[in-house]
Amino acid sequence: MSLWTMIVSMAEGLERTCAIFFLTLIFSLPLGMCVALLRMSKNKVVANATRFVISVLRGTPLMLQLLAVTYGPYYLFGIGVARNKLIPVVIAFAINYAAYFAEIYRGGIESIPLGQYEAANVLGYTKTQTFIRIILPQVVKRIMPSVTNEVVTLVKDTSLAFTVSYQEMFTIGKQIANSQTSFMPFVVAGVFYFVFNAIVDYGMGRIENRLDYYN
Amino acid sequence: MILEMKNIEKSFGDLEVLKDISFGVDRSEVVSIIGPSGSGKSTLLRCATFLETIDGGEISYMGEKAAHTDSNGRAVYVTPNELRHFRKYCGLVFQQFNLFPHYSILKNLTDAPIHVQGVSREEAEETAMDLLRKMGIEDKANAYPYQLSGGQQQRVAIARAMAMKPEILFFDEPTSALDPELTGEVLKVIRQLAEEKMTMVVVTHEMPFARAVSNRVIFMEGGVIVEQGDPRDVFGDPQEERTKQFLRVFER
Amino acid sequence: MKKRLTALVLAFAMIFTMTVLTACGGNQGDQADQGDQSEGRTFVMGIDPEYPPFSYLGDNGEYTGFDVDVARAVCDKLGWQLEIFELNWDNRYIQLDNNECDCVWSGMTILESTKEEGYVLSAPYFDNSQVLMVKADSGIASSADLAGKDVGVQLGTSGDILLGEDLAELAGTFNSVVRSDSFLKCFTELDGGAVDAVLVDAPVAASYAAEHDGFVILDEKLGGEQYGICFRSGDQELCDEVEGAIQELVADGTYKQIAEKEEYGEIINSLIFLQQ
Repeated sequence: MSLWTMIVSMAEGLERTCAIFFLTLIFSLPLGMCVALLRMSKNKVVANATRFVISVLRGTPLMLQLLAVTYGPYYLFGIGVARNKLIPVVIAFAINYAAYFAEIYRGGIESIPLGQYEAANVLGYTKTQTFIRIILPQVVKRIMPSVTNEVVTLVKDTSLAFTVSYQEMFTIGKQIANSQTSFMPFVVAGVFYFVFNAIVDYGMGRIENRLDYYN
Repeated sequence: MILEMKNIEKSFGDLEVLKDISFGVDRSEVVSIIGPSGSGKSTLLRCATFLETIDGGEISYMGEKAAHTDSNGRAVYVTPNELRHFRKYCGLVFQQFNLFPHYSILKNLTDAPIHVQGVSREEAEETAMDLLRKMGIEDKANAYPYQLSGGQQQRVAIARAMAMKPEILFFDEPTSALDPELTGEVLKVIRQLAEEKMTMVVVTHEMPFARAVSNRVIFMEGGVIVEQGDPRDVFGDPQEERTKQFLRVFER
Repeated sequence: MKKRLTALVLAFAMIFTMTVLTACGGNQGDQADQGDQSEGRTFVMGIDPEYPPFSYLGDNGEYTGFDVDVARAVCDKLGWQLEIFELNWDNRYIQLDNNECDCVWSGMTILESTKEEGYVLSAPYFDNSQVLMVKADSGIASSADLAGKDVGVQLGTSGDILLGEDLAELAGTFNSVVRSDSFLKCFTELDGGAVDAVLVDAPVAASYAAEHDGFVILDEKLGGEQYGICFRSGDQELCDEVEGAIQELVADGTYKQIAEKEEYGEIINSLIFLQQ
């Protein structure tokens, strides 16, 4: 198999890798905010329950969570295993990443000085307005470096989807490596991830620069 | 009477901060509140601006009750929605300015009028520019707070409060966070507002300023009003021993 | 400036990775060869820990299986110490080359390509064929019924390779080939309805179907293949020693005894040495 054929077949899997990546971000970024707000709830029961869930999600391997989401319903309730693995994969990824994002958001929100809330309060902003107009924009700027970190990790984590037989780019690479007894596909995969992350880095850098108009 | 506070009680845990305090502010009055730290001055201001909730007593603006004590002796507030209506009567200038760092100076002044009061953008910007001109910082309209000196930031904060067209403006130690050479420019602005007959309550440690600008001085200590009256009387001929002691420290 | 620095750091990271990879490939044959003075040597057997009945984790928490039992008997015979190494099946050649084990002995299919790569292979000891396992009520009777269906296979197994080579035409009629990283997952996918059939080694299918109801193994044999033990190139001597010991076990009946164990199912029918 020529290097070019190898790259072409792996690039086909890249489409699935991208699907995991973008769908996970689309769902986990807002979900993380909901989780963060629950985590900071004044209701102790809600806050502690959320805290427990977050600690489970962060304290167990994503691979295990993928297995649980994909095969758990079948083993527990006899519900069939999904044919389109993208669904359980994105569910597991989105939930897992939401837990990480929630903690990042919480850190960001808690780092905003109380005075910002008070100033908004006195000016008559509602709680929602305060959060959306005053707090959130400042939080976004503060958490960008940590979010970038997670997003870069996500690119690499997509390869875990193989655990539940979802054939993304790395799986195809493994398959070729296997049939060709060659290490080359892993090098190709490495380059793919590197380039993917270089693009992500560039994009996130652009966003960070755009938020750099104030200190 | 613009503001009337009656029999205000406020505790943090076991600590009684305000003990049965009553006072009112008439239109165009400038009231200075002085006293040692921990005397409850700031808390009184925060209660008046609804940043803290009182445990007992009554708060009225323009004759309308925002909070009163029920038959159980506990303070009851109007609904949060109605409370917003009261907030538009009062403005507060913080010790730490608390400008919104992600908004330009102009937007700091226009965002709340537009989104809270529903003023049109043109009108809000016109008002804002007028205020900035008055504060002598109209050239900073498009700058961001971090680009301004402390004195300039505090003047923006005053303008931001004024942009809401409040009936009464509160100042919580407005010059305490400033370098001494910058306090003058802020005090000058407050003095200017006083000349324009703005109703104001200023918690301050600037005794000469309190003496020169205010119509009335309140000396607080230990959660109670010890003495109040015309600044010439309070500063010139204090009646209470504690007032004398306090003022002596400043005369040195 | 900041960007240029980033690029530089990334370039270094890349070079470092490459160097490590090259170094890993280059240190062939230093550890495992040391114990080659037969008496008392440690023999490291590389297995796929999820490949019953050849090698798997037994009820007692220790590795067991036909291959493991034979290897143990071989070591007893030669006075060696047996050590079991869990391979990552996808990377078995890399791990073998890396001296992480002395051989791959775990129901491993002998492929032409493996020989061409220069690996030393024992004589085949097991004749395996690929079969299709389906659910009893699926109505699938032959590979022809699989057009438009989803078929599961374990990645890197002979079934997977067959689907890419000899059975490529058949695979073309499927809706998709779902590759999992263990047989358990293949069977779970089948049971859970995510795939319609699993292409699997006959003895693995037989032992699974014997323990679980509701599965049918189609009679059709899809490609025959043989199992052997794979050693590093240059380890012909080690291979000969092991093969010699196996022949002794066949001769004294130990080999048959192991093969007759109930938990190894019908394995005995496919063992080449017992059919001569």
